[in-house]
Formats: sequence, structure tokens, C-alpha cells
Amino acid sequence: MEEKKANNNTDHRMLQIVVFKLGNEEYGLHIDQIKEVVITPVITKMPQTPDYLKGVANIRGNVIAIFDLEERFGLIKNASTESAHKYTLVVESEDVKLGLLVNEVPNTISVNRSDLDESVGIINDTNTESNYIRGIIRSGDRLIILIDIFKVIDQEMTQSTRKTASVAA
Amino acid sequence: MQDKDGEYKEIFVAEALENYSEINRLLTQIEKRPDDLSSVNALFRITHTLKGNAAGMGFTGIAELSHILEDLFAEVRDGKILLDTQQFATLYKAIDVLGNLINAIKDGTEVKYKGIKTKLEVLLKRSKEVSEKATASINRQDDSTISTDTTIDPLTSTNPIDLLAEDADDVIQDEETKVSFSDLVQVPVRKLDNLLNLVGELIIEKDRILASQLGNGLNASNEYARLSRISSDLQYSVMDVRLVQVGFLFNKFHRVVRDAAAIEHKNVVLKLIGTDTEIDRNVLQVISDSLIHLIRNCVGHGIEQADERVANGKPAEGTIWLGARIDTDAVIVEIRDDGKGLDFERIKKKALTQGLIKAEEADKLSQDELSLLIFEPGFSTMDNVNAISGRGVGMDVVKRTMNSIGGIIKIASEPGQGTTVQLTLPSSMAVKSCLLLELSNETYAIPLAYTESVISLYKSNIHKAGGGLVATHLGKNIAIVFLKDVFDQRTERSAIHANLLQSSFDQIHPEEKLDIVVVSFSNRVVGFVVDKLLQQKEIVEKPLVKPVDKIKFISGVTILGSGNVCLVLNVPHLLNFIFSLTANGKVSKNFTLN
Repeated sequence: MEEKKANNNTDHRMLQIVVFKLGNEEYGLHIDQIKEVVITPVITKMPQTPDYLKGVANIRGNVIAIFDLEERFGLIKNASTESAHKYTLVVESEDVKLGLLVNEVPNTISVNRSDLDESVGIINDTNTESNYIRGIIRSGDRLIILIDIFKVIDQEMTQSTRKTASVAA
Repeated sequence: MQDKDGEYKEIFVAEALENYSEINRLLTQIEKRPDDLSSVNALFRITHTLKGNAAGMGFTGIAELSHILEDLFAEVRDGKILLDTQQFATLYKAIDVLGNLINAIKDGTEVKYKGIKTKLEVLLKRSKEVSEKATASINRQDDSTISTDTTIDPLTSTNPIDLLAEDADDVIQDEETKVSFSDLVQVPVRKLDNLLNLVGELIIEKDRILASQLGNGLNASNEYARLSRISSDLQYSVMDVRLVQVGFLFNKFHRVVRDAAAIEHKNVVLKLIGTDTEIDRNVLQVISDSLIHLIRNCVGHGIEQADERVANGKPAEGTIWLGARIDTDAVIVEIRDDGKGLDFERIKKKALTQGLIKAEEADKLSQDELSLLIFEPGFSTMDNVNAISGRGVGMDVVKRTMNSIGGIIKIASEPGQGTTVQLTLPSSMAVKSCLLLELSNETYAIPLAYTESVISLYKSNIHKAGGGLVATHLGKNIAIVFLKDVFDQRTERSAIHANLLQSSFDQIHPEEKLDIVVVSFSNRVVGFVVDKLLQQKEIVEKPLVKPVDKIKFISGVTILGSGNVCLVLNVPHLLNFIFSLTANGKVSKNFTLN
């Protein structure tokens, strides 16, 4: 009985993906990693940080770091910077909470697990060690890049700390 | 003094009552399971502690009674006494009397305890007789009957009489078992921290409301005056709860001194001053290791051997004073010894061989600067490593700790007279007085603990010197740094040039007037040029969150009334950074931020 149920689950498990646009591409995050979407608050710049770390902001009494993934991934920015980065996607893991700048309210889609292709050979950034791309989702005409945001940040922060330590060496 | 005694008494009563209820609990446990040795052990320990504490406070009744109980439990533990129902009854009665004695401290009533004490003594004595009898009977079976008869007889015949007489008194008081509560509550520090965090958020919220109402008319500040008052009262009450007397920590150092002195074969006595000074519990916890290092250092380096002291006309016994006092917003802890003082030549020599300073600067360093070298990592004037000192660790722990909590170290030393180490500590880590300032449209806070003064200078007052800038203020030459340059250094890492610290200076208008905050830390004085000075404010500093928790220039954040985040500058690190730039001659030479 239970076995059957488990089977059913794996067969028809739907993935809930939150999709947002970065540059001209669509990126997706697993819904479990998302806490909320808020209107971007005032961001305070931090010294000694890479450019794509926009600073810290107060979101409901919590001070969290805000990232700009467009800048991080080196994607061309939208021409209209006025409306850009209007929303902040708050993502949360067990030990870290951070904000991602997005241009429009992200939407949530359900995709079939079979639509997720995890084995694609993606050419990584030359200077990144681990792959933060979890796979590519095909949904109709759309192509969504599913990423593990905490891998991106983890890697980045350790790297930039190293860089900071040896500035201009 | 009165207050302090009262407080100690209160604490003793609270602890004793806790012991008392623990004894009750354990005793019932043993009654059910007589073979429960761990409970008996616990009982023995508790009564032992109680005895010690009571004796220390001068409560003879409690001390005597718990002493006899301790002996009794020791016998039980060693299997010499097997408790039966009757003896349990006696024990319970004894413990009730103990409870009464403890409660009597508060209201001063007289509690008779001699009767029950005698009864316990009899119990104890009898058990000893029994065990003696047992051993005797093994040795000489024939005589055993006679010997037991003679010894037990007087006991059983004499004691019941005075027992009965005093029992009558006891019975009246022991008629009913009362459940009593202590007037003190033990709270885990974690809960207090949580409470303080909440209060911090309340303050921030209050500031936010006040700020938003400010534009709405003049009445706003009146309207919220009550809110302001209550929230700040609340804040100070919570902070007050976290205050503890330094004596609690200081008293532990008698042992530290004794042990260290024993290893070094020196005669050292520790004298405590101002033990009733109150300080935030967390600060006390953080500095405890540093104090251990400093005190061991006094014993190891400061105090001479007895014969050397006598030869120099000093008493053979060295003295270390450990004192604390309140100085406006801060608590000053002083560790003073009457030893030989710092050997500046030796420090200089050692620092040179260890590469901490360069030959050309060695002669220029003042005694103050030299003395601070002993806090550098790896520095030690000792040639031999022993258990206490010489490893070169320890003193840098002190420095790091002081940096982390915003404390300041000062050393004064008189050759042959001794050394004084002065630590200026924040009395609370929760709230910091800060100076808010604006820089590149962001608001930053500098803890007032580091700020010396605020000055304004014209560009013409500032001169280029080497790779940096200097200005003269009140007859002193101070280094001037555009804070913006320091922060920009990170973002423009590709374009680092030799005169980095002069770049903003070159760009400003020749007649510009500059706001400068003069900060100082461990003898380094720097004037930070900022865009605008805002106000002085008490802030609740929150630690940096992941993933930005590694950023060294910033020690924490706070939320302003506007809801915006304000960064608190880490002055010790900024100064280290700036001086590591200039110390290397050229800005672009290898340096690390750590």
C-alpha cells in the first residue's frame, strides 16, 4: 500500500518552481527556498563586498544581504533601470537568509519532474568550481534555468573573501 | 555595604532553598530505592556545598546541621548505615529544620535545631559503634557482647532524655510541611538575551514611529513622550537585570593566583578592589579569559622571586591588585602588580628579533607604544616556555577580546615599582552610544568609545605627507584619512595606485571645509573625513548576518528610525587596515585584511 503511494509520488510528482527573469533568460528556484516577495526596501551599501552584493536591507526587522544576480551572472541589464529591481525575492535556508533583486513579481509554475533535465552539460563559468545549475526545465516554449541559489552565494562569498584577503597582491 | 550584604544574603537564601528542595527530592528517591548510590552521592555533595556556603556567610545553625547531614550521608554512601523507616523520619525532620533555618534568615526568627542535631549525632555514633562492633566481633567474638553492652547502654539511657526535652519544642514547628518559594528566580542568560533583543526592536520601532510622526506637526513629540519614557525605562530595567557584580568573577582569581604562584615558586597575594562594581554579564564572560591571562602574566613576569624582592627593599610577598570602578559610561578594570615593571629595552630587542618592528622605528617608539607590543601575537620576552607564560599566546587574546567588544587597553609601568594594565570596558554590550555620520549617501555609526573629538578643517589645513595626509590639531599631528577612500579601495581593486589615501583630497575644492571625526585606538589617532555629521544616538547593535558576516570594516548593524539599515564601523580594524597600508610604505604592496 505504502509502496504504491510512494510510487505514485515519484511518477507524478510535480515540481513547484518560482520563475523570475534575469536579463532575457528565465531562472527558476525551488519553491521551498523562497520565503516571500517584497517591494525592494532601501539598501545600505556594504564596503569590502563584490559589486553584485548590493548591500543590506531591513526586511521586517531582519537585516539581510541583497544580491543582484543579473550582475553576478554577467547578464545584460535591462535598458530601463528606473523600474528595475522593484521587487526583492527573499530566500531562506537553514542558516542564511538573503534577498535577490528581480524586475517583476515572479510567478509560480508547476512542472512535471520529467520536464527537468538534470544531466545537461552546461558550460560553467570558467572561474566557478561547483555547479549551481540544477537543471533545465522545458515548459512549452519556455526554457527555465533551475538554480540552487545557496550554491551560488556560498561559492561567491568564499571566493570574494579570498579575494579580499589578497587584494592587489 | 549594607546593600551588598543584603544581596549576598538573598542569593544565599535562594541557593540554599534550592538545595533544600533538591535534598527533599533526593531523599524521597532514596527512600523508594535505597540502593540508588548516585542520589546518595548527590545528597552528600549538596550538603557539603551548603555547609561551606553557610559557614562562609556565618549561619552556624545551617552549617552545623548540614555538616552532620553530610557526615551521615557519607556513612550511608560507604554502606556503614542502612537507613530504615525510623531513620528516614528523623532525616526528614532534620531537613525540615534545615528548611526552617534557611527561611529564618529572611525574617530573623529563631529556630531550634540542637535537638535534631543531637539525634542525628546519635544516629551517626550508633552506626559507628555498630561497625566497630562488627569489626570487633570478628576479632574477638567472646568479648563482643560485653563491649556492646557497655557502650550502647549509656547512649540509649542518656540521650532519650534530652532528646525528648528538645523534641517537644521541635514538634510545634514541624507540625505541617509547608511549600515555600524563593524570592529569586533563576533565569537562563539566553532568555535574557532574547528579552533584550525584543526591547531593542521595540526601541527601533519607537524611533521609527517618532520619525514618521515628526513631520505631522509639533504635537507629535509630546504625544509620544510617554511611549519614549516607558520604552527607555524598560530598556534600562532589562539592562539592569543583566548586570552582575564583578566580585563574582574576581573572587575566582584567588585560586588562579595561588596556582600560578605555586608553579613559579613565588609568594603572591591578590587584593580585590571595588568588587561591587556592576557590569553586563556578557562583558564579564567575554573578558574572563583575558583577565586570567593578564593575572598569570603578572605572576609570571611582573612579580619577582622573594629573595630578589627583599634585595630591592620590597616585602617578600608580591601583591596583585585587581580592581574595578565605574567611569561614566564604562567600567574600568585595573590589574596592578608591585613587581619589576616592564623592561622596555628587552621588549624592543625582542620585537626587533621577532620582526614586529623595524630597526629604524625602534628608537622612535614611545614607552606607551612599546608596552602595547606585548599584546602582539607571538610576542614574549620569556626565553623559556613554562606552564604559565612564555608561549607568546595569551596577551594577543586580550587584545583580540578588547577589539571585539570595543574595549581599550592602557599600560602604565614604572621600573621597579610595578605595572598597571587598565581595561576600559563598555558597561553594557547591548546599547552603544554612537556618532551618526553620512558618507556617500549612507549613514554610518562610530561608537563614541573610540571618538576623541569632532573637528572641522579647511583643505588648506591638511597636508600631504608620504602616502597619506596630516593635519595639526591642538598642537598634535594627526593622520587624516578620507573614509571614502578606504571604502572605495575595495571596489576599485583594479586601479589601486600609490596615493590611494589622497585621492579624495585631490578632488575636493580648495576652499572646502571638512568635517572630521577624530578616533583613537591603542595609541593610534586618525581623523576620518566624512561627508556630514548627523547626531549622537544610542543604538542597539545587531551582529552581521550571513553571508556578510566576514566583513571586517563593519562590526554590526542597527536599524534607524527611518527603517533603513545603518552600519556600525569597526574602528580597531579600520585603523589596523590604514596603518598596515602606510606601514608598508607603498599602498600597493602586499597586505592582508586579517
